[in-house]
Amino acid sequence: MPKPSRLWIALVVALTAWTGIAHAQTKLVVGNAGGSSADAERKVFYGPFAAANKIQIQEESFNQELAKLRSQVETGNLIWDMVSTTAINVATGCEEGLLEKIDWSKYMDPKVFQDVGGLSECGVPYLFVSGGLAYDGNRIKEGPKTWADFWNVTKWPGKRGMLYRAEQTFEVALMADGVPPPKAMEVLAAPGGVDRALKKLEALKPNIHWWKNGAESITLLSSGEVAMAYAWNGRVASANKTNNLNLKMELGAGHVSGCQYWAIMKGSKNKELAIKFIQYAVSAQPQADFVRVISYGPANRDAYALLTDQEKATLPAKHMDKASLQLGKLYLGFWLANGDALLQRFVKFAAQ
Amino acid sequence: MLALVAPSILFMALFFVAPLGLFLFRSVDNSEVPGWLPRTVAALSSWSGAGLPEEPAFRALAEDLAALSGSTALPLLGRRLNHDVPGFRTLITATGNRVDPARRGSMREQLIGIDPRWGEPLYWQTIRRERHALTWFYLLSALDLRYGAAGGLERAPVESAIFLDLLGRTLGISAVVTLICVLLGFPVAATMAGSSPARANALLILVLVPFWTSLLVRSTAWVILLQNQGVVNQALVGLGVLEKPVPLIFNRLGLYIAMVHVLLPFMVLPLYSVLKGIRPELMRAAASLGAAPWTAFLRVYVPQALPGLVAGASLVFVLALGYYITPALVGGPGDQMIGYFIAYFTNTAVNWGMASALGTILLLVVTLIYLALGRIVGLERLAVR
Repeated sequence: MPKPSRLWIALVVALTAWTGIAHAQTKLVVGNAGGSSADAERKVFYGPFAAANKIQIQEESFNQELAKLRSQVETGNLIWDMVSTTAINVATGCEEGLLEKIDWSKYMDPKVFQDVGGLSECGVPYLFVSGGLAYDGNRIKEGPKTWADFWNVTKWPGKRGMLYRAEQTFEVALMADGVPPPKAMEVLAAPGGVDRALKKLEALKPNIHWWKNGAESITLLSSGEVAMAYAWNGRVASANKTNNLNLKMELGAGHVSGCQYWAIMKGSKNKELAIKFIQYAVSAQPQADFVRVISYGPANRDAYALLTDQEKATLPAKHMDKASLQLGKLYLGFWLANGDALLQRFVKFAAQ
Repeated sequence: MLALVAPSILFMALFFVAPLGLFLFRSVDNSEVPGWLPRTVAALSSWSGAGLPEEPAFRALAEDLAALSGSTALPLLGRRLNHDVPGFRTLITATGNRVDPARRGSMREQLIGIDPRWGEPLYWQTIRRERHALTWFYLLSALDLRYGAAGGLERAPVESAIFLDLLGRTLGISAVVTLICVLLGFPVAATMAGSSPARANALLILVLVPFWTSLLVRSTAWVILLQNQGVVNQALVGLGVLEKPVPLIFNRLGLYIAMVHVLLPFMVLPLYSVLKGIRPELMRAAASLGAAPWTAFLRVYVPQALPGLVAGASLVFVLALGYYITPALVGGPGDQMIGYFIAYFTNTAVNWGMASALGTILLLVVTLIYLALGRIVGLERLAVR
């Protein structure tokens, strides 16, 4: 029966070729925060990298739930290859074996990340986000300059938008109480620090409107529901750009800043490809392009040279001496040990 | 007969009873401590708990931690003990990475040298208390209780005791929302049941369209309508009804409005299906026998509507208990519900024991409420005839 067997061979060859083509399109799955930051990442990082390497990058929603990493790694059922995550999650995930430990210095120059706290064992910083004092320039002509001004409701009447979270809010309260921003973490972690922060918040509490996600902080400001707010700089800048607003940020008052990191899931089959992606995404040119789209600071300091003065306006480059940094042993140790207990205390405080 | 129901019973057992059982078990599961600190647990079981334990306990802990060094079990053990005492996590990881049980000399001195906290009884007492495979710790915490230094139970410190408040608030908000839904839903369902099919269908569509809209969209829409600079307030100020905007949202009022809006269809639909089956002649018969309209309504209509009312009210109440996104969007800081913390402990803090304990307490309380309701109303009267 020569004819059917030849047909079979042809079929098998065709099928193999077809599956071969299907497999050639490798897929990298990324967990990210969604929303405007994911839009920017897609435009600047995912799109160009996928096109240049003929791969597909698939995004999944990740709102920093550590549980999502843990359940994937523990069940051995990896859905994601890499994630965009915070310093606390990089530290915990690294320690608990959820993220790959990689010698990043083999792939990039560690020096360019020094200003933002450097590379971590499991993660590479790719954006620098600053939370600071924001207000609507069309409503307030003579703007506040310090966090003490933010607390001054006689001179600037109206509600104040603040983040419904202990972390960041406590640091800001201490700045308002006269603690120099770089010392805020040290004072908070010392005995009596938490009580001092809560006491300061107590004074402003009747005027505080708590917000829970970044988009809310912007609507509160632009609708005039609050006169001033603690807000993240990328949100402020992109709201100004897309909605034609005139929101101002006074980063000189002191700000709480930290990085967002790329990290690779433990056991990912696409580890090499993910490293290659990260290498690309943190190089100077895409980093500068990213700033232009979303207006968060770059992690790679070489990117600053590629930016104009106007593009640097909402970046804290000039006010790095006024930062309470969300990184380092003290910050991570304090919030890892006390995060749950302080959230309970904060929620109780806010409800009273 | 049995063959017909077997698949659904099997399905329930696999996908409902088993996960629920596992979830309940999580609230008492304590396998980490005895599993990872076997020598320490054995050494501490003979210790009275007063002062510091003897050298063998220090040696046992040094050996246990050294055995875990470099593995992911070390930080996970630290995470577990950090639930009991904040700071335990770093104590465990730092000690585990530095301890060397092979070194000569007193292990007690070596451990206290690595971290002076090993010289405090608190940390030893905690390990001793958590040495069993099961623990009451999570359930007690969920009730704002904890073990005192003397071993007895005591209330959690005022500034961090939040769970009883949250539980009470969750039940209270759900009860009020259910009541409003009954008061608003009953006339709607009764009107629908008494209308011609065409009008009833039109009304049904009005009930269903918001039901098909995303919960987030509806919650956010209320923010736009009700905020100080929102449509309602601006209109009232513009018309001269109000001098300045009144807070309609980001407080309890706003939460009730948004939750009732979201949950009302769950009241109307089951109620409508029952009311439709009540024969209108019965009301006329009551009237012809001399009952005033109000008496006829209370003694003839309501008893027949009861199964629908209870079905709708139960549905609304149970759904309301689990709400946490709507309160986060439209409520104030005093309106957060227990679901917020269950989600926080599950997703962010990865403290599944605590999440399960809060869920278990909620489940118990709701079961009790239903049993009590069943006793008062009488379960046999609730059957749809």
